[in-house]
Amino acid sequence: MALALREQEYKTELVDIYHAPDNLTYVVEDAPELGILKSLGIVKDAIVQKIMTYKLGGPVLLQVESCEIAISKDIAEKIIVRG
Amino acid sequence: MTSCHEIKADAGVYQKPNKILLMGNPNVGKSVFFSHMTGVHVVSSNYAGTTVSYTEGEMKLGDRSYTLIDVPGTYSLEANSEAEAVAVSFMHSNPVAVLCVLDATNLERNIKLGLELQKYNVPIVYALNLIDVAKRHGVEINVNLLAQELGAPVIPTVAVKGEGLAEVQAELHKVLNETQNNCSHCASCLGCPKGSTEQDTWERAREITAKVRKKVDGQLSFLDRLGAAMLKPLTGLPLAILIIGLSLGVIVGGGKALRAVLLLPLVNRILVPFFRMIFSSFIPEGVLLNVLIGEYGIFVIGFEWIIALIFPYVFLFYIVFSFLEDSGFLPRLSVLFDNIMRKIGIQGGSVITILMGYGCAVPAIIGSRTATTQKERIIIATMVCFAVPCISQTGALISLFAGFSPLLLIIMILLSLAIMVTVSLVLGRVIKGKVDPMVLEIPNLLMPNPKAYAKKLMLRMKHFLMEAEVPMLFSVIIAALLKETGLLDLIAVYLEPLVSGWLGLPREAVIALILGIVRREMAVAPLLAIEGLTALQAFVGGTVALLYLPCISVFGVLTKEFSPKVALAMGLGTTVSAFIVAGLINQIAHLFI
Repeated sequence: MALALREQEYKTELVDIYHAPDNLTYVVEDAPELGILKSLGIVKDAIVQKIMTYKLGGPVLLQVESCEIAISKDIAEKIIVRG
Repeated sequence: MTSCHEIKADAGVYQKPNKILLMGNPNVGKSVFFSHMTGVHVVSSNYAGTTVSYTEGEMKLGDRSYTLIDVPGTYSLEANSEAEAVAVSFMHSNPVAVLCVLDATNLERNIKLGLELQKYNVPIVYALNLIDVAKRHGVEINVNLLAQELGAPVIPTVAVKGEGLAEVQAELHKVLNETQNNCSHCASCLGCPKGSTEQDTWERAREITAKVRKKVDGQLSFLDRLGAAMLKPLTGLPLAILIIGLSLGVIVGGGKALRAVLLLPLVNRILVPFFRMIFSSFIPEGVLLNVLIGEYGIFVIGFEWIIALIFPYVFLFYIVFSFLEDSGFLPRLSVLFDNIMRKIGIQGGSVITILMGYGCAVPAIIGSRTATTQKERIIIATMVCFAVPCISQTGALISLFAGFSPLLLIIMILLSLAIMVTVSLVLGRVIKGKVDPMVLEIPNLLMPNPKAYAKKLMLRMKHFLMEAEVPMLFSVIIAALLKETGLLDLIAVYLEPLVSGWLGLPREAVIALILGIVRREMAVAPLLAIEGLTALQAFVGGTVALLYLPCISVFGVLTKEFSPKVALAMGLGTTVSAFIVAGLINQIAHLFI
C-alpha cells in the first residue's frame, strides 16, 4: 500500500517541461529522439534547470550546465521531467 | 562568406598524410585555435554552426609540418547531421593526432564527445578552453584530475587571448613523438566508458564531470548580466528595439553623412570634372562623349551610384551586422521572436538568416542551409527575394525618399513586413512538408575580438567589391548606352501603358525596370535622376523596386541552391506581384488624390 502510494506520488511529479514551474531543477525522464536534443545533453537522466516560458506560444528557456537553450513549445511539451 | 566553407567534392584531403584534426563542440573557439596555429583565417561567429565544412592549413611542430584540419563542430560522432558525418569520415582517415577543444562551461557534453573520440585509438590532446568564462560562472575545474580521468593530456586555455596555445602545441609535439599512444594500456587507464552505448558514454561523462568540477563563487560580468537581461521579454524587447534602432541610426544616419560630407563632393567636385576634362580634351562632342561623360555617362553615374550611393551603406551595414553577429545578440533575438515567427509558419532561428538578407540575398540564401527542412528553406529564400531589400537597395530607397517625408520610409517598411508575412503564410499552406521547431543554444554575450572582427569585415567588403562591382558596372554601361543613344525612348514607347498608365510613373522610369534585372538597387537609382517626381511616384517606384526581380547573382544562387525551376518561379512571382501591388497602390491613391 505504502509502496503504491509512493509510486503514485512519484508519477504525479512527472510533468512536461513546458508546463513545469519556472526556476526549478528537473531530471529528464523522457525526451524526443532528436539529434539536436541529444547533442545538447537533453537526454534521459540529465539535469536541467528551467528558467522561464515565453508568452504567446514562445519557447521555454532551459539551462543545462552553464549553457542556456531555448526550445520551441512543440518540442518542450514532449520533454517529460521529474521534479 | 561561405566560399571557404563549402564542402569540396574531392576526397583527396582524406588521403593526406600527417593530418591533425581539430575537433570539438560548435562554438567552443576551434576557429580561433586554427587561425592562431596555421595563420589561415576562418570566418567565425558567436553562434553555433558557422563552419559547415572543414578548412585545412599547415602547422609546424618542431621541424615537421602537419596538416591541421578544422573539422566542423559536432556534439557527438553519431552522424546525426551532415557536419557529424564529415567528422566521422575524418576520424576514419588515419589522422596522426586529434586536438579536441573542450568548453569548460559545458563540461558534460564536451567530455562526452571527448570520450567518443577515444574509441578511434588516435593520440589526443585536450584543450580546456573558456576557463575564464567558467570561473566567472562559478565553476572551477581540477585539470590534473581531468587529465587522469581521460587518460590524456589536458591544457587549460583562453584561446581568444592566446593563453595556453603554445603549451597545446608543445603537448601535441610531445604526444606525436611518443611511440605508443596512451590507449594501448586499457587495464591501467580510467578513460573509456564501461559499456559501448551512448547512454554509457553519457553516464561516464557525468561521472567525470562530477569528480573534477567544483562550484565556487562566480562573479558575473556586466556582459553576462546584460546577456541574461536580453533574454527576458520585459527587458529584452526594449533592449532589442534600442539596439536595432541604434544600428539603423548608424547605418542610415552614418551613410547619409558619409555621402553628403565626403563622397558626393568627392564625386561631383573631383572625380567627374576630372574625367570630363580628360575625355572632352580629345573626344569630339557626340554620342561617344555622352556615353562616357554625359548625364548618364559611364564615368558619371558609375561614380555617383557605386561610390556615393551604394558603398557607404554596404560598408556601414557590415560594420554593424558583423558586430551584432560576433556579440551573440542575434540568437537572443531569435528566442524573443520565436512566438511570432512560429505563428507565421517558420521558427525563431530564421530571424538570423532573414536579417542577413538585409545585407545581401546571396549569403542569406546560402545561409538558409541551416534550416532543417526544405520547406523552411524555400519559405525563407522566398521571403528574402520578395520583400527584404538588400543594403544597396535600402541605401538607394533612403536617398529616394529623403526628399519627401520620412513617413514614406515607414510605410515602405510596414509594406515589406506585410508582404513577408503573406509570403510565409501562403507558402506554408502550398508547400508540402513541415518546419522543424526551434532548438537553439544561446551563446555567451561577448565583446567581439577586434582582430577577428576586422578580418571578417575586410573579407566581407572584399567579397562585395568582387561580386557586386562587375554587375554594377555592367548595368551602368547598359544605362549609359540606352540613354545616350536614344534606344531608351524607343523602348519607353512600348512600355508606356504599363509604366505611365498603370503605375503612373514618368517615361524615363523604364530604365529602372531594365536595370533592375541586373542589380536590385539599379531599379531605384535611375529614379533619383528624374526631376519633379511626386511623393506618390517615388513610393510606387520604390514598391516596384522592392518587389521586383531579385538581381542576377540571386538568380545564380537560387539555381545552384535549389533548381532553375525555383529561380524562374521566383522571378516570375516577384515581377508579377511588383506590378500588381505597385499599380494598385497608384490606382487606389488616385481615387483619393
